[in-house]
This record gives sequence, structure tokens and C-alpha cells, in this order.
Amino acid sequence: MIIQEGMSIQRKLEILSDAAKFDVACTSSGVDRKGNGSGIGNSLACGICHTFSADGRCISLLKILFTNECIFDCKYCINRSSNDVVRASFTPTEVCELTMEFYRRNYIEGLFLSSGIMVSPNHTMELIFEALRMLREEYHFNGYIHCKAIPGTDPVLVEAIGWYADRMSVNLELPTASSLKQLAPHKSRKNILKPIRQIQLRRENNNEYLGIYDGRQNERNQVKNLILRDSNSGSNNSIYNKILNSYNSKLNQASEYNSVRLDNELNVASPESTNVIPFSKSPKGRSRYVPAGQSTQMIIGATNESDYHIMSVSETLYDNFDLKRVFYSAFVNVNNDSNLPSTVSGPPLLREHRLYQADWLLRFYGFKIAELLTEKNPNFNVLLDPKCDWALRHLEIFPVEVNKADYYTLLRVPGIGVNSARRITTARKTAVLDFKDLKAMGIVLKRAVYFITCGGKMMYPIKLNEDFITRELLSVKDRLPFGIEKDITYKQLSLFDDVSFKPDDRLVHQQISLA
Amino acid sequence: MNNFKIYQCENSIDGIFTAIYQAWDSGYGHANVKIEEQSETNNYSNIELFSDYILVKTNLEQALMVSKSIKAKISLEAYEMVCRVALSDYKGKGDLIYRFLILGFHIGSKIVGHLSNKVVNSVFKLNRYVNGETHHLLGFIRFSERENGILTSIIHPKNNVLSLVTPHFADRLPNERFVIFDGNRNICSLHLPGKPWVIAEFPDIDTSDFEGIVDDEYENLWKIFFDNIAIKERINPKLQRNNLPIRFRKDMTEFEYV
Repeated sequence: MIIQEGMSIQRKLEILSDAAKFDVACTSSGVDRKGNGSGIGNSLACGICHTFSADGRCISLLKILFTNECIFDCKYCINRSSNDVVRASFTPTEVCELTMEFYRRNYIEGLFLSSGIMVSPNHTMELIFEALRMLREEYHFNGYIHCKAIPGTDPVLVEAIGWYADRMSVNLELPTASSLKQLAPHKSRKNILKPIRQIQLRRENNNEYLGIYDGRQNERNQVKNLILRDSNSGSNNSIYNKILNSYNSKLNQASEYNSVRLDNELNVASPESTNVIPFSKSPKGRSRYVPAGQSTQMIIGATNESDYHIMSVSETLYDNFDLKRVFYSAFVNVNNDSNLPSTVSGPPLLREHRLYQADWLLRFYGFKIAELLTEKNPNFNVLLDPKCDWALRHLEIFPVEVNKADYYTLLRVPGIGVNSARRITTARKTAVLDFKDLKAMGIVLKRAVYFITCGGKMMYPIKLNEDFITRELLSVKDRLPFGIEKDITYKQLSLFDDVSFKPDDRLVHQQISLA
Repeated sequence: MNNFKIYQCENSIDGIFTAIYQAWDSGYGHANVKIEEQSETNNYSNIELFSDYILVKTNLEQALMVSKSIKAKISLEAYEMVCRVALSDYKGKGDLIYRFLILGFHIGSKIVGHLSNKVVNSVFKLNRYVNGETHHLLGFIRFSERENGILTSIIHPKNNVLSLVTPHFADRLPNERFVIFDGNRNICSLHLPGKPWVIAEFPDIDTSDFEGIVDDEYENLWKIFFDNIAIKERINPKLQRNNLPIRFRKDMTEFEYV
């Protein structure tokens, strides 16, 4: 290990920002806080992007590692202990100075502090705690702070740090306990889930104490209630309800299965973990515990889990661990480790994109994973986005009438998103909507046109035939983020890969016949 | 035969509101009047035939009456929307606001939901356009620290959003002295600790005071951070350009190189 004494702050920033670049959760959202009139800083719930780096990703926070020294040897990580890279560490004062000066110049919304593990998880987290405490109490910084918790940290430290951070996150790293064991031998599923549960329970307690009703949770419950209510009444809007009924039974089984499994992992591993959580009085001036909630991230494409597996884990995390976000990070083989898939042809960006699309469907559209994927069909369609794919398999509920369909039914129409559905439900209160009106309101009809009627009429005669619509949809270009081409590898190939992943035969046929 | 009456007014919220007050008050009938605001370069558009031009002198009292009745008879939301439209760079915004208010006083607070109506839809879109640029600038504004500790920033927005972005920074940086200069309009907002912020006009200002590179260690550190945080395997200039349009970059620290 190379340790340099008296390294300049420039060199440290170079090393420790480069080392932090694979952390994906650079959002500053989730908490609204006015300036306090004396210190520095405020925060907006919508978050603010300050610039975009050359890879097109948003920069919102000063994303750095506290240190890149590490005693762990995770195979996918550039900072693993067996790598011979230049090591550097900040001091708490340096972190504070950088944050304050960047913040004044409006470069950033706040600080994102992650770290390698120096000496021990507790030793590192103590230093991070000191940095956060100084920033809040001595520098009077009132902006956004996102702090990573290292698995294996003493719960007392996690409790203490939560009062100073806006968001905390523990990286799940890999979707299953077995691949975690394989690639990150020093981390265990138990040590990762334990602090997540601790922070969740502590936040609930704090919110209850302050009488804060969590908006998002509320919305999710509404979706749940709506689905249950619709399926119980089950008569008037019949087709949609039948579908929902059949799902409810299917998804109840599926999600129960998943949540039980993850919960069991946690409980079996440490029976006391949910019983005893440390409880400290809030420090002066700090009344909210992790107000912006928790997030986590998973590496995609380093191990052979299917999309179904990954999304089931996400669903469980949203439903049972109250996570605000799960981030997916396309695997880049930085260590050229021969045991891991090669990424010479580029990281699996299309797959990452599909997972994010599905993630949105879970969080804002009232979808359940059991509707999108199954054990037998465990991966997303390469050619169509998850919602189009779902709609094509459920043509029996389409077309829906724009002037009648409820909000959640509108959300299921390909091409209609949250904004469009809201605009439609507002505008139709005062007028009967026509296709012309939809266009004027900025609703994109490219895809939607195959699935909706206005005043009982479709825009032009369309056969409600799966093959026909599939062909039409394929000719509408899927709006992928720039730089992701469809022909890139969706999943890294490996010699012993037996996952049954291939594009739908039917679609391939049509592609050929189109060409 | 009555001629068309065209009310020419100052390009400001007060100017447009005064014209609306006078046009309404005139009794010519809504169909026979039109409001035309000065363009940002101070030239009126082409003179129309068979029209009488009436020059409106901005009258704060009349403007205040209009804004009061919008808040009372329509809604605060509608008032804010109208203000944002008045700050946009849309030609003909004065007349659009006039038409919107005619509908608004008739229908009331529900007017903002009439999205299938052409006028309301235009107001909605302009409102979103101005909001969008404001939100962009909350992130993209860069301050440089000058020798005397004052933070200065220069922006070149399409819309006149200075009065919309400044409150955010006044709240965020209460103990700083800062200046944000709008290089397209030669106006700037000033903030001093413990005092309310103000907007001032400087028609003949030398903008070189705001431009150019300052010798500041933190500006260099920021550039180092910006370059290092990108993942080389995922370089994607198109995506970057889509998220951060080129027009903003000339005023941003991380995109200036010697």
C-alpha cells in the first residue's frame, strides 16, 4: 500500500472524487428546509442539479470518499485492499472547508460522504461523524448531507450520525446473499440489513413523535388501498377489475414470498436486531432523524441474477424497509478481474435503463413486479420498455376512454406518464377531450394512440391485434437515453451462463420481416 | 367604423397591468382592443393599419388594482402564473394575459384547469417554460469570490428570471454579499446581510467586471472534481448536452479553460 505524507488538497480531491464516482445516488431530494437566517444553506424537496459531468450524469452533491484506504477486499471495487493504488484520506476539517466553499459558490447542494474502511468500520464512522458534527455545529451548514453507513458499524454510531444527515444509505451491493458472499467476502447480508432496519425504525419513531405524516408512504398506501378496494367491489369497471383480481392473488403470493425471505434473512441472522435499537436524545437544534430517508444501490451485471430477482428485492425494500430509492449501477470491471464478467464492450447500460424504467413503474405507477416479470420470463424485453411490453400482453383492457378512465388506469397506457395523466384528469373536468386537445396539452401520442379512445373513437382505425401493434410500436423509436444503443450487449456473456435470456422469438421474427 | 385600439405599454408586470386596466376601463369592448408590450430591445413591432395607437404610461396605482383583483377574484395561483408569463420572452404576452384575465374573471379560480382552452394552454406552457429556466439557473448559477469577499455572478437567461432566482439565494446565503447580473438586460440583483434584496438597472455597465477568470483556489478544485467524477467508460456528450444546454455553459466555472 502506498501512503503519502503531506499530500496537497488538490491531489487528495483528485484521488477521493475519482474513487467515489461509482456511487450512483447523487440526489439532493426529499427534504424541504428554509434557511435559518443565520447560518448558510437551505434545501428543496425537488432537489437541484448543479451541473452534468462528461458521462451525462447529474452532479448535485460534493461526492467524495473520506478515505480510500480499505481493509475489505470486495472483488468489484477499485479500492479493495489487494489493489495497489495511491491511498489518501481527508481530515474532518478539510471536508468541512471544501463543502462550505463549494456551497457558497453555488457549485453543490451539499455533501455526499462515503468511505473506504480505515482500521475498522467504527474507527471510520467516528471520523465521519466528527466531520458531520463539525459541519452542522461549527460551520452552521444547513444544506443537504447524504452519508453512507458502513456495514458492521456499532448501532450507537448509526444512531448518532442520523441526527446530522438528511439521507443515509447502506449499499446492498448485490441482490442475493450468496453473490455477496462470493464477491464481498467481508460483508454479510445481515450486517447490511441491520442498519437499514435500525434507521427505518428510528425514523418511524421520530416522525410519530413529531407528528409528521410521510407523504410518499401515504401515496403508496393509497395505491395499495385502491387496488384492494377495486378488486373487492369488482363489478362496474369489470375487465380492469378482473385483471386486478387475478393479480392480487398472484402478487400477494409473490411479494409475501419475497418479503418473508428478506425479513427472515434479517431475523434469523440476528434475532435481537429488531428488538434493541439505541435511542439517544436529539442534539441541540436537530429535531429530525434522517428526514430524507434511506436509499441503497445494487451492482447490475456482475453476477447472474435475473431482472425478476433484482426487482423483487427492490419491491421488498420499498414495501418493507421504507426505502426512498433503490439505485442500479451497471457493472464496470475496473479491476479486470478474471472471475468477473468482462466489460470491454461497455457496461450493460440498456439493462440498467430497463431496471430504472421498471423501478419508476413500481414507485409511481402502482405496478407490482409480478405483473411485469415471472420466474419463467425473468428478464425485460430488450426491444420494448416494460410498460409497452405489459400492455401488449393485456390488450383486453384496452383501448381505454380518456374522458372516463380513472387516474391509475390512465397511468397504465403506454406513453402516458404521471404528468400527462394529471393534466388529463384536470382538463377533462371542464371539457370533453379530443385527440387535438391532447396534442395541444403536450401529451405524446406516438405510443398512446394504440391504446386510447377520445369520445369512443380511436384516432384512426387500428386493429387491436397484438402482432399489429407490436410491429407499429417497434417502428416508433424507443426513446433511450443518448448513447445507449439497442444492439449493445444487454447482459454480459459468460462461459457458464445458463440463464434463459433471449429476446422474444416473436419479436425477432418481426424484426427480421421488417428488415 | 371604429378603429382597432392598440395599447402600447412598458415591458414589465406593472406596465402590462396598467395597460390592462386602461383597456378594460375604456369601454371599447374586448374584441376591439389589443395590448402590445415593448420588446426587450425597446422597439415596437410593425405598425398595424387601421388602428389607433394609445401610449400607456405605467401607473403603479392602476397596476396594483389589477393585481389585487386577480388575487381576490381568481386566485393566488393564477396571479403567480400571470406574473411569470409577464417575465417571459414571449412576444404578445401582454395581450395573452389580457385574454386570460377576461376568462379568469368570468370563470374564477377554476380557470387554471381549463387546459384544452387555447389561451389557458398558452399561459400554462409559458409558465412552465419560465419555471423551467428558473429551476435550471438555481443550479447553474456560479459565484466567483472577488478580492473584497463579494460573490458575483453573471447570467444570460432567455426570460427575465432575475426576480425569481434571487429569493432562493437570499434565503440560502443570508450572511453573504452577492450580486447576480443579467447580461442580456443589464439589470442586477444585490443582496447585503440583514437587508432585503433589490434589483437595480445599469444601462451602461462594463460587464468585464463580472466575466473573466479569477485566481481562486476553490475554482481550480471544483474543476478537478468535475473532471474526476465522470466515469470514463460511460462518456456521453449527447446526454450531457441534453441535460445541460450549451447556452448556459459560458457562465459556468467548470466549462472555462485558459
